[in-house]
Order: sequence, then C-alpha cells, then structure tokens
Amino acid sequence: MSDALDYATWAEALREGRLLGLACGCGHTNGSPTGACPHCGSRDFERVELPTEGVVHSETTIQVPPSTFEERGYQVVVVEVGEAKVMGRVDGDGVAIGDEVRLSGVVAEDDGNPAPRFEAI
Amino acid sequence: MARAAVVGAGMTKFGVHEQPLQELFGEAAFAALDDAGVESRDLDALYFGNAMSGQAENETHLGPRMASHIGAAGLEVQRFEDACATSANAFKNAVQAVDAGVHDVVLVGGVERCTPETGKDTPEMTRIFASASHRQYEQPTGLTFPGVFALLTKRHMHEYGTTEEQLAEVAVKNHAHGRLNPRAHFGKETTVAEVLEGPVVADPFRLMDCCPFSDGASAVVVTSDDLADSYDAPVDVTGVGHATDVVPIGDKTSLTATQAARDAAAQAYEQADIEADDADFAEVHDCFTGAEILASEAIGFAPDGEGGTYAAEGRTSLGGDRPINPSGGLKAKGHPIGATGTAQIVELTEQLRGTVGERQVTDADVGVAHNLGGDAATTVVSVLEGRA
Repeated sequence: MSDALDYATWAEALREGRLLGLACGCGHTNGSPTGACPHCGSRDFERVELPTEGVVHSETTIQVPPSTFEERGYQVVVVEVGEAKVMGRVDGDGVAIGDEVRLSGVVAEDDGNPAPRFEAI
Repeated sequence: MARAAVVGAGMTKFGVHEQPLQELFGEAAFAALDDAGVESRDLDALYFGNAMSGQAENETHLGPRMASHIGAAGLEVQRFEDACATSANAFKNAVQAVDAGVHDVVLVGGVERCTPETGKDTPEMTRIFASASHRQYEQPTGLTFPGVFALLTKRHMHEYGTTEEQLAEVAVKNHAHGRLNPRAHFGKETTVAEVLEGPVVADPFRLMDCCPFSDGASAVVVTSDDLADSYDAPVDVTGVGHATDVVPIGDKTSLTATQAARDAAAQAYEQADIEADDADFAEVHDCFTGAEILASEAIGFAPDGEGGTYAAEGRTSLGGDRPINPSGGLKAKGHPIGATGTAQIVELTEQLRGTVGERQVTDADVGVAHNLGGDAATTVVSVLEGRA
C-alpha cells in the first residue's frame, strides 16, 4: 500500500522543522512529494524523515530576482540530505559546494509558500 | 527513407518588434510559404507554438487567430506550450503527422514577444519565465531561469573543472557567429574580458553569459517524404527524438547530464541511423553559456566534461571540427521563446541548402537541432540532412 505524501503534509512538516521524502524500492529517495516514483513508476513508497543536516550539491546567488521577491543577492542551494536532494536557500555569507548545512527554518516570500532555509554548520 | 521533408523556411529578424503577434507570425509564415511555393489554402494543418503570451500579453487561444491572419481560417490548428522547447515540440508532431500519412503539407512555427514591448519589465518577465520551474518545490526559493542553469553549470564546474573563462568563450564564439547573421538580435562581437567584466545575474553567469529577451517568429513548411521532390529545395528530416527528465531539479539523478537531451539525441540518431560524429554541425539551446557546454556533451559533440575545453579551443567555432550554433545561437541570434525551436530548423534547412553566406558550415550534409525547455525537463533533438 502506498505511503503517500502530499504537498500540504510536506509543507506543514517543513514549517515544523522536518523534511519529509519518499523512499522507493528502486533505490531512489525523492526529496519532494510525488504521485509515483519518477524514476521507476512505482506507487509503493515509504514515507521517510530526511536528515535536516546535509551537504551543498550546487549553489548560485540570484542578483536579478523575479518581481515577487524584493531583495536581491540571495543564495539558492541544492542540498544532499541523506539519499535525497532538496532545493532551498542559505542564509549568511554564502556556502560552496561540499559545505555542510543544517535546516534552520523556512523562506516564505512567495505567497507564503515555504521553501527550506538552511544555515552553514 | 526520410520521415518528412522541410520544403520552405522563414523567420523574422529576432530583436525588438512593435507588431502584434499575428503580424509577427505572418511575416515568418509568409516567408516560409513563399520559399516553398505553397499557398495558405494548400495547407492541411498548422502546428503552432507560443509559450507565455497568456502571461506576458494577455493573449491566449492564438491558433485560430494566426490561421485567420495568414488566410487559412478553417484550418486544423494545434497549439503547443513546452516552455523554451515549444516549437520544436510542434515540429515533432508535424513530422509525425506527415510521416503517418495524416497530413500532406503542414505549416509549423512559433511566435513570442519577450522584450519590454510587452509592457513587462525585467523583474516581471523574470517571474513569468520562472513559471516554467516547479511551483511548489523550486519557485518559493526565488529561483530564476539564469539560476536554474547556474545550478547545473556550477555542478559541472565542480565535477569537471569547467571555468568562467570557458563559459565566456561560448559567448565570444556565438557573438562572432551572430555578427554574420543579419537576422540576429546582436550584431556585435565581444571578448572574454568584456564578458568577465559584466554584472553578475546568477553566478557564474554574468550579463553576457545570458541570452537576451527577444521578440520574433519563425516557420517551416513540412511535407511527406514522397511529396518532397515536387518542391524546389527539400531538406530531409531523418530523425526527431523527444524526452523529458525528472522535475524538480532536486530529484534528478544528475544535474550535469541533462538526461532528456541524451535520451532525445539517442532516439533521433537511431531513427536517422547516424552517430553523433556523422553530424557536421549543431544548433543547440544556449540560453546561457553553460547550457551550451552541457548540450554539446549531451548530444555527443564533446566528451563529458570537455564541452568547455572544446569551446575554448575553437573546436565548436565555425571552421572548427565540431561547429555549434553557426546562427549565433540563442545567445546572439536571440530567444523569442516559442519561436526558437523552429528558428533552429530554419537555420539547419538553410545551412544544408548552402545558402547562408559567410556563416556557412563547410560541406554541411547533416545537421542537429537541440531545443530544451524548462529546468532541463524537456528536450527535442532533430536530425536534418541534405536530400540526395
């Protein structure tokens, strides 16, 4: 039986400081909710609690933001959290690929939709 | 046997245009029809691409309006939206239709306005473009499209040692090519030093690493293989591959592979019965300099990790052994989103006919087009060949 994870549940957990993902029998752990595994098509997932500490997989600092974001110069990161990767922001002076970060809260500048916020360890 | 043939090609200059969408599209469509010697009433269908004019100009349901404007009201019209891969997807569906015998003669094309002529400034248009990223798992971070390709490129730099100078070399090359293309948005050369002095948009990309916001339209006339010889200058379509990759970026297996492009290229090459080395040149989706490096590796023009080196050594320049973007690419020719895919087909057609003048690829017999949409989520790869 599918151990489903929807957006509302993922977002609520994120606001509480937890990262939820979906581990699939094919070996992929997905960092975002999805209806079936994008890698193999299986709906037979296990909902998993992802680590809230991880390693920066890639990063960039946005100097020309969309109109809905007021401040420029924020750093967007893809972070390896256990077997999954999630996209978020990093506060502070900036991190590089390979640096360790931990979940520190949410960014909610886009109509209140949360994105993971990380800080350097 | 070819899957289809392109028998007419036309496009507007890419740049800043005041005309309404239908007039812009009409200019490209009439040029393609005239090139083919086809009248609007001879068409069986229109395969039409437009990505975001609903958001940018409050204009939707454009298909019948385009058909009416070109004197083909009543025509069956399909409209495609696949972010930046919009009109390549239209082209793929047109090729399938004539290949399957559904239609004999079709028009394929796209139009878009992205400059401030739309009334939208850079922050607003940046937001509209970002709508092609994941609404829940990417957009709330403040991700932009320069940011999408910056994330992919930064990882490539980390894994392979690709440098900012190599990225700049792509811009220098494509501006040099674009200067030879009278339909290009930019007609001016640049230097590595000039690129590296520009303001940062999303590191590692500076202003000159990024394609411009452009307005424009492009169109081609496509017929079945067995009808092609009744036209003056047919070019064969021998393969079209189309694949998608996992969305969002975090769940992709690799940030540097652009897997959809690899899958689409494999399909297209298999249909055409060629290897990447058999292709004489490619038009690839260089929305950012780093995107061209990833694309050159994904379609097999450079080994993995060596796309930057190939650009810096001039191997992907006109006159090099693996020429890429002789038109100037999106970087210099411009990128009116929904018009870009068929504009690549226009360049392939004219290169294979040998009619592009100073930017002609020597002995061009096989050309490849790579059109990418979204966060590397969609890619269409087409193979065109001179008709024997």
